[in-house]
Amino acid sequence: MKTNSILVALFTVSLLTSCKKNETEPLQPYDTGVIVVNAGNFTDNNGTLSLIQRTGQTAVTDIFQKENMRSISGGLSGYAEVNDKGIILVDNSTAGKDAIEIVNALTFKAVATIPAGEIENPRTVIKVSETKAYVSAWDATGDFSNFYKNPGYIAVLDLTTNKILKKITVQNGAESLVLVGNEVYVGNTGSGKTVLTVIDITSDAVKQTIEVGRNPNIIGVDASSKLWVYAGGELQKINTSSKTVENKLKITASNASKSPSSFVLSANKATIYYTFSFYDAADNYVQKGETYSFSTTSTAIEAKIPFINRLFSGGLAVDPHTGDLYAGLVPSYKQAGYVFRYKANGTFIDSVKVEIAPSKFFFKK
Amino acid sequence: MVRRTPPVLVSVFCIILGLQTTVCFAQKEQTLCEVTVTTIRPERFMIGQKVKDIDSTQLAQNRFTTLANFLQFQSPIAFKSYGAGQLATISFRGTSSSHTAVLWNGVNINFPSLGQSDFSTLPMSGFDEMTIQYGSAASCVGTDAVGGSILLRSVPKFNQTGLQAIAGVSAESSKNYAGQLGLRFYYPMAKNWKISGKTLFYVSGIRNNFGNEPIQNRKGAQYPVEPMQTLQKGVVQDIYALHSNGNLFSLNAWITDNSLTIQPNSLSMREITQTRAQRYVLSYNVGKTLLRAAYINDVLDYGKADNTNPSHTDIDRYLFRVEHDFSWIKSCERGTNLKVGSEVTHYTAQVDGYEKELKTENRADFYLLLRYQHSLRFSSSLNLRQALVSGFNPPFTPSLGIDYRVFSSSTDRLNLTTNIAYSYRVPTLNERYWVNLGNPALQPEVGFNKEIGAVWKRRTSEHFHQQYSINAFHNLIDNWTYWNPDKNYKVENLQQVLAKGIEIETSHRVITAAGEATAQFQYALTHSSQQKVYGPYTQDILGKQLIYVPRHSLSGTLGVTSGAWSFTVQQLYNSARYITFDHSGRPFPGYYLMNAWATYQYKLKQHRLHFQLQGNNLTNTLYPNLKKNAMPMRSVSINVIFIFNQKK
Repeated sequence: MKTNSILVALFTVSLLTSCKKNETEPLQPYDTGVIVVNAGNFTDNNGTLSLIQRTGQTAVTDIFQKENMRSISGGLSGYAEVNDKGIILVDNSTAGKDAIEIVNALTFKAVATIPAGEIENPRTVIKVSETKAYVSAWDATGDFSNFYKNPGYIAVLDLTTNKILKKITVQNGAESLVLVGNEVYVGNTGSGKTVLTVIDITSDAVKQTIEVGRNPNIIGVDASSKLWVYAGGELQKINTSSKTVENKLKITASNASKSPSSFVLSANKATIYYTFSFYDAADNYVQKGETYSFSTTSTAIEAKIPFINRLFSGGLAVDPHTGDLYAGLVPSYKQAGYVFRYKANGTFIDSVKVEIAPSKFFFKK
Repeated sequence: MVRRTPPVLVSVFCIILGLQTTVCFAQKEQTLCEVTVTTIRPERFMIGQKVKDIDSTQLAQNRFTTLANFLQFQSPIAFKSYGAGQLATISFRGTSSSHTAVLWNGVNINFPSLGQSDFSTLPMSGFDEMTIQYGSAASCVGTDAVGGSILLRSVPKFNQTGLQAIAGVSAESSKNYAGQLGLRFYYPMAKNWKISGKTLFYVSGIRNNFGNEPIQNRKGAQYPVEPMQTLQKGVVQDIYALHSNGNLFSLNAWITDNSLTIQPNSLSMREITQTRAQRYVLSYNVGKTLLRAAYINDVLDYGKADNTNPSHTDIDRYLFRVEHDFSWIKSCERGTNLKVGSEVTHYTAQVDGYEKELKTENRADFYLLLRYQHSLRFSSSLNLRQALVSGFNPPFTPSLGIDYRVFSSSTDRLNLTTNIAYSYRVPTLNERYWVNLGNPALQPEVGFNKEIGAVWKRRTSEHFHQQYSINAFHNLIDNWTYWNPDKNYKVENLQQVLAKGIEIETSHRVITAAGEATAQFQYALTHSSQQKVYGPYTQDILGKQLIYVPRHSLSGTLGVTSGAWSFTVQQLYNSARYITFDHSGRPFPGYYLMNAWATYQYKLKQHRLHFQLQGNNLTNTLYPNLKKNAMPMRSVSINVIFIFNQKK
């Protein structure tokens, strides 16, 4: 305990003096590896973060509780790091009880909390500068007839003061975010909105919107600097300079009832992986599907031969350092899930048991 | 609290033993001769089962308590609570929340769409008597009585004179308030009829104000406080007309209205759950025949923010029952009772989740309950029930019970009991009719419960009564339904659960001229686990204790009454509860709770005034509810109850 406090003190000092980690600094428990965001079971409010290493099958579970002697009060919807700070998005099942926990990314000791009431339904967090993160949020939701009743917003999180500087109003159901140069693109889920919002990160203001189609889900920027978005049932390639859609592609398949999700770019930004599934009404609504991939240079996309002959409901991610594909497997929301790992060529590596509903991943160095 | 063991006639007992020198002590149990005058309660046929009556003192003491708060002190009953004043569902002997039948005046009042009751909406003042039945009693009770049943009754009082009025208020430091106003009347009509009845209004407002900040304990556990508000209102109306020939008309009505608001102070974040129930039971006991008709309407609305478009559930039930008792009584200690009955129930459900279509369902039950008492030493029962439901038929449900007294002396009696019973649970309306995910072809769940027990009663003097009992059960429940996440949560009969356990109870009572002291203690060891593989990842959960079922639970009540004062302390300990099927993650730690009452009774002529100081969670234990929010911390309440008795 005492040693840890000293470490925190030392660390704080080093933070104040320099943002770069000193070579002589002792190893910290969370220096390396992959943070797994386990969403938890929604009303159980039991989201957790696990740490797994790139090799080996042991997971360090519930690392926030381990280091802070208290648990996170809610499900988890995201994690990102801005230099040495980790930002944890907490989604409690009670409206008005969501929060953002800020931790030291190397020790996982709590640094600050954006308290309940200041953020509602946070969805995605990304680093936008050395001191700033953007958090997309839905705001309060309504009943099922009008679930995304409020416009979404982007909370600008200042990591020097650990406060929300500003909330930028965007479209309802704000969800996916990507940083391209000095701009952040905002997509949305479920609300039926059809635009991408573009935000200037220097002014923290909306610059413009781009009409793309219903519920734009941002995939990322490929090797040829094109932004990929799935919107209106089509893959769209966007020129981020002209802000125009250059190409639209539909995924074709023999089974028309399948729909794609969990798009992710490979490490070399030349391939996009995705899951393709449907609920089979003829077979008791069993969810059936596989994981597919296509090249970003394709002129047509046909889901014919699966990349991995398996469906993952917990989300996909690619390790930028190794190129390995990480996939979350959720047997149920009342038992621990697994992370399946594959080489970039689709070879199965291993699976690691983590916690409830592994759905997002953050790759440390 | 008196255990209902098979008929033991103390008076006869003494005579038979011919021990005039031995002091005999009055018991509440009825003789065969007494009980055959009119129809017999089904509990009399539950031979070999553990059945416990809650005495009127405890009911009176808990008049401002909900059934959930009271029953949690009755191990092995555990509750899954979403917070004080919020949904509280039961787990009885390691079973699920839809495996406990809740009967009010003989009619199952579980919410039909969910097959369970929210015990936070059932106040203790809504009924006059309560019996807890442990284990499977579906042959006597019907559907849902897989893990146990809670039997609530209204009872007429024809022995009172004139009017009795009651007015009570309760104020709790956590900003919870409650009030009651009631009237009990008795009126002898013309020459052959007596009328009696009861009217009671109750209202409570629950805020559970423990601040807005998360609460932390010394061990570092921390849970948030959820802002909430519950307004509970209700009225109970009972009217009885008793003819001098013993025929009895009864009309029992219980109307409840419960409104829960989460985040009451923020319009846009508000979440509102309203439940309303209207329950009417009309019975006519004519000779040994019972005719009963009941109408129950359950409404559930759930909405958010300004609640303009709540999701709506509205279910009506119409029930008719005919029952007749036969008896062949050879003597007050030897005889046979037979109850033959049938019941039909019609359901109409208007539920948003059923594609807005009106769904109807008919159910019928035929039952034959046979009780044979060979002597004071030996009695047995054989009960049979066949239920029919539109679309499919539940299994034939027999049960067999034996009670045998192996030892008796002037001071001690030792009875051994055993019971074997099948039970069933008809799928809930949601399980059958929910759009896409419901499954009309769902099979009923079937339980097979085996049980043995021993009861030792000891009375060494009229001042000291003791009772010790032990029960062991093994309940295998097949076709356990599961909303399968692999199939987008379509419901299926996938699981098989084995619940087994041991229960120990002791009861001591000391009676002196100055007063009375009682001590009751219960311990339960419960292991309830999934037995069957039904998917690739179920290996991770096989054999593991079910979620929210504590392995060990202890509870006890201590009471002392002396003169105008009485003191009661209620305690419970539940061991750690797992919150995941595979026991991954951190379980909820074990916790201890203590409540206490000090009551002073002031007599003003024939009237009475009770001043009660009540302390809840006196050790200020921090423990979580299912949403991982803090349950109520220590609070103190002051209750004042005035009982007016008309001078006669």
